[in-house]
Amino acid sequence: MALIKQRLPTSLCAIFSLLFSLLTSINAQANADEDMWQVLQKAAVAAHALSYQGIFYYQAGTQSKPIQITHMFNGQGEFARNVVLDNTPREVFSQGGDLTIFNPKNKNVVIEKRHGQNMFPAILPTNLDLIKQSYSLRAGEPDRVAGRAAQMLFLDPKDTLRYSYRFWVDAQYGLLLKSVMLNSRNEIIESIVFNQIGLMDTVDLDWFQPKIDTKKTYVMEDEVVIIADDGVPVGWSLKGVPAGFRKIDQMIRMVHGKSLPVTHLVFSDGLASVSLFIEPLSKNIKPRTGRKLAGGTSFYSSVSNGYQITVVGEVPEATVAQLANAVFFKK
Amino acid sequence: MNEQISALLDDEIALEDAAHIINAMLKNKDAAQAWSQYNLIGDAMRGNAVLSQQFKQNLMQKIQIEPTVLSPNTALVDQISHVKHANKLPTSWAIAASFAAVMVVGFMLLNQQTHNNNELAPMEVAQADVSKGVAADEGIPTEYLNAHQASAPSASAYYIQTVSY
Repeated sequence: MALIKQRLPTSLCAIFSLLFSLLTSINAQANADEDMWQVLQKAAVAAHALSYQGIFYYQAGTQSKPIQITHMFNGQGEFARNVVLDNTPREVFSQGGDLTIFNPKNKNVVIEKRHGQNMFPAILPTNLDLIKQSYSLRAGEPDRVAGRAAQMLFLDPKDTLRYSYRFWVDAQYGLLLKSVMLNSRNEIIESIVFNQIGLMDTVDLDWFQPKIDTKKTYVMEDEVVIIADDGVPVGWSLKGVPAGFRKIDQMIRMVHGKSLPVTHLVFSDGLASVSLFIEPLSKNIKPRTGRKLAGGTSFYSSVSNGYQITVVGEVPEATVAQLANAVFFKK
Repeated sequence: MNEQISALLDDEIALEDAAHIINAMLKNKDAAQAWSQYNLIGDAMRGNAVLSQQFKQNLMQKIQIEPTVLSPNTALVDQISHVKHANKLPTSWAIAASFAAVMVVGFMLLNQQTHNNNELAPMEVAQADVSKGVAADEGIPTEYLNAHQASAPSASAYYIQTVSY
């Protein structure tokens, strides 16, 4: 009996210490996860707030392109120039959220205007809440990219509706040095990696102008008719949009080769984006049904209630199919 | 010559010293073209509104999309005219507005004249593209891919141009 009395406190102690170590390890794990989100948060901000220049490679499928980037934040605004270094060098200038693209096509250079698009390394939103809902983050091994020490991160989807990502973040400056997108079979769909990178310590903006080719004619691209949409669908509603995806834009636009306007909705989970097009079927255009996968881009089209529904996005095939089937027509 | 035109645009040459450049632009077609191209590039970079070549067609298309109201609500018309009187703009605004209207009409006429001869050509190209898009069974239809890439937040499409018209 005395023996049991003596043993009891010892076993209790063991249980308590076990519980304690379990709790601290859970706590430590939670802290480590939070630290990794901090690293990703820093990468999201550093891409906008730092001034840097370098060359990175974009690779998708069998194609690979070197791109020269110059990015500057001068305290008041953000300026960037991306030059695709190939036979027909394209220059992309961004100032704040506005993009101006100089795109050589045959004898012309077509000037295109865009708004609110994210260019590498600024591919992460500064608010990571939406990403946290659909992805989990964990630390990888320390690595080196472009001669710099980097922290590797695994951003894995919590479901099968999106691809997974690997990020390499500069250990010193927090800048994203490499980004890889993989499918569920762990095959690389897209990779963007800095080959050389350096910080700039100037606020001179001499570089922020296009290289003008006097032999070419500069023309604005064909204006795409876009009508702001109040977002209230008239003849249809959405039910069962893929989890984690939020509607970020809605417009009525003319699509090349279509005589009738098309309703265009854009969805995002913070990283991946999907477009949904809804248009009334017209007599001249053959209805289209089917699905396709090219690289990481999935395509799905179906016909319902006299409407053509089309979904395109950098997501798995199941996601585009689910979004197309989320459109219900009011009877 | 082009460098001097560029310098004039950048205010690096005083207007009074630029007589020879302006003369050259009046006589030399290439110099005049360089002037208009540099202005177009500058406007695009600064984010100034630039009228595209398709401005007229697109405007007409937009007007067509607008619903036609056959019987305006009289109560609403009264309300609108009341609001109009309440917020009546100074006369100078009306003059400016009619001047702007004349400018737009003038531009449209000019555009029509210059594009009358080749107006059919782009339409034919557009039709050919569509039939190709429907018949081609391998890739993703370019018209939707282009629209997606133009509006989606991820912009890697600029690095590799998978599609082009």
